[in-house]
Amino acid sequence: MFLYILRRLGEGLVTLIALSFVVFGSIHLTGDPARFLIPVTEAHDEEVYLAQVKAMGLDRPFIIQYLDFLQGALRAEFGKSFIYSVPVKDLILDRLPATVHLALTGMIMAFSLGIPLGILAAVKRDSIFDKIGQAFAVFGLAAPQFWVAIMLIMITGAQMGWLPTHGRGDIEGWWPEWHQVPDMIHHLLLPAFVLAITVIAAVMRLTRSAMLEILDSDFVKFAQVKGISHRAVIWKHAARNALIPVLTFGGITLAGLLNGSVVVEVVFAWPGVGLLLLEGVRNRDFPMTEGAILLSGFFYIITSVIIDILYGYVDPRVRIR
Amino acid sequence: MAVTESNVLEIKSSATWRQRIREARLPWIPIVVILLVLIFGIFSELIAPFDPEESNLKARVIPPFTNAEYILGTDILGKDIFSRLVFGARTLLQVTVPAMAIAVLVGTAIGLVAGYAGRWLDAVLMRITDATLGFPSILVAMLIVTLIGTGLWGVVFAVTATTWARFARMIRGEVLGTKERDFVLLARILGVSPTMIMLRHLFPNVINTLMVMISLTIGQVILLEASLSFLGLGMKPGEPAWGIMVAEGRAQLLTVWWLALLPGIMITIVVMACNFFGDWLRDYLDPKLRRSR
Repeated sequence: MFLYILRRLGEGLVTLIALSFVVFGSIHLTGDPARFLIPVTEAHDEEVYLAQVKAMGLDRPFIIQYLDFLQGALRAEFGKSFIYSVPVKDLILDRLPATVHLALTGMIMAFSLGIPLGILAAVKRDSIFDKIGQAFAVFGLAAPQFWVAIMLIMITGAQMGWLPTHGRGDIEGWWPEWHQVPDMIHHLLLPAFVLAITVIAAVMRLTRSAMLEILDSDFVKFAQVKGISHRAVIWKHAARNALIPVLTFGGITLAGLLNGSVVVEVVFAWPGVGLLLLEGVRNRDFPMTEGAILLSGFFYIITSVIIDILYGYVDPRVRIR
Repeated sequence: MAVTESNVLEIKSSATWRQRIREARLPWIPIVVILLVLIFGIFSELIAPFDPEESNLKARVIPPFTNAEYILGTDILGKDIFSRLVFGARTLLQVTVPAMAIAVLVGTAIGLVAGYAGRWLDAVLMRITDATLGFPSILVAMLIVTLIGTGLWGVVFAVTATTWARFARMIRGEVLGTKERDFVLLARILGVSPTMIMLRHLFPNVINTLMVMISLTIGQVILLEASLSFLGLGMKPGEPAWGIMVAEGRAQLLTVWWLALLPGIMITIVVMACNFFGDWLRDYLDPKLRRSR
């Protein structure tokens, strides 16, 4: 087990270093950051340019620059944003709570809807209910997220005025005041649901197939023969075992939701990291893009490493690959 | 005598051909949808009744199915939506075809080399592949677009960068299984060069898997391309791409609601068709790939 954890951590570290190298290298290959920072009036002055290069340390060997960048990245220092003139770290930390709130709500929705619906679909196999569930899954995998979001805004928000369609209310930071909670949830409902649609569909299908497999297994049949009530067989014997693969899937999903929220944040004007990243990309704000992508990548890799280690505890077969 | 014999043979073979199609249970609806997209994309000028860029201020904001001339209505500038959808099919092909071609080429090459060479080369290539696979595609795409800029080739490379790794992984797995088989060993003993072994002996054995992978990936590629266009990172604004049309419709949601609705329906139908076709192809060509999920 110890060796397994060590190996998995090592793999995560290698992936992270590779990612930082790719991000740093590709940004430096395609554009000279010094050129961007020189005022237009002095753009043709070679001396100003060379001074800028020296000031930014761009005349040093590539590998030294990279190690320097890595050192900064370890402390989450990515320099100042070109457009805001504020350290990128502060900008990201400021936006992080919104994204995390959204992703967590999305995940809670995905599991509280996906698991019961999946179990129901398996128990009442081939019923109308099962068919509707499958249709939902097919639709969820094919419909573009941004379009579903806009359609839902049109129906529930713009036409009926039921739900707020943009922003997260007047909440700032991680913890809302008590009286703000209802408003916060109200603002979260629509974006979190859109974010969760594909995951709901996936959790449902996964639960359904895991349940079907287990309902067909010998120990469940034995429990039925023993005369245990139908409900107890389903919930105590079958569902518990079926949930193991579903829960692992959940961890990976959280990481995906944290990153996949770019589109949803844009449609709902949700002030999170995804919106920040898009702003950075559109304005070619290199420090901000570097910072946001590396941070997201960091989250993603850390989460998947933790999930793999937890899974190793739950299911010993995983350790030997 | 000879003539009748050949006639008999021909009838027989045509009968089996028909029979084979019947037994294959072809997914007709997805095939028709995909063919329609191809026809719309290739013959856009012939099918579209209007210039997709041309605005007609006399025919602004016509709802769909209310005007015989503008069947699907017009937007706020009087551009015909049906024509824009038809040309959107062309944009879709312009992005998807080169992106898939490059991704398949790169992925297959890397998969073949990694699988056949083995040892350290395999280890290095697979690490890179896993790193790419284990990373959300929209982020990779955004990184590429920051570097290259928007427009056709930005999207093509963004899509390529996120998809090649799937092919590489899959092909490598297939090659590992094939390379120990007798005909490959024999070729090696005969002194056939590694390049020839990969192209002549290994590649033909992975074509089935490759076709299945391609058809199952296209839907996701279309969605990624549409998302990038919607975010303003894909094709340039104003071009007739379905993702851009939804973005335009979003701004005019209260007046021209059908502008956002129609292209989204198109994307959904096309992606659904691709997914269904991919599922069918997987079951037909390669039943062992069938997963329960």
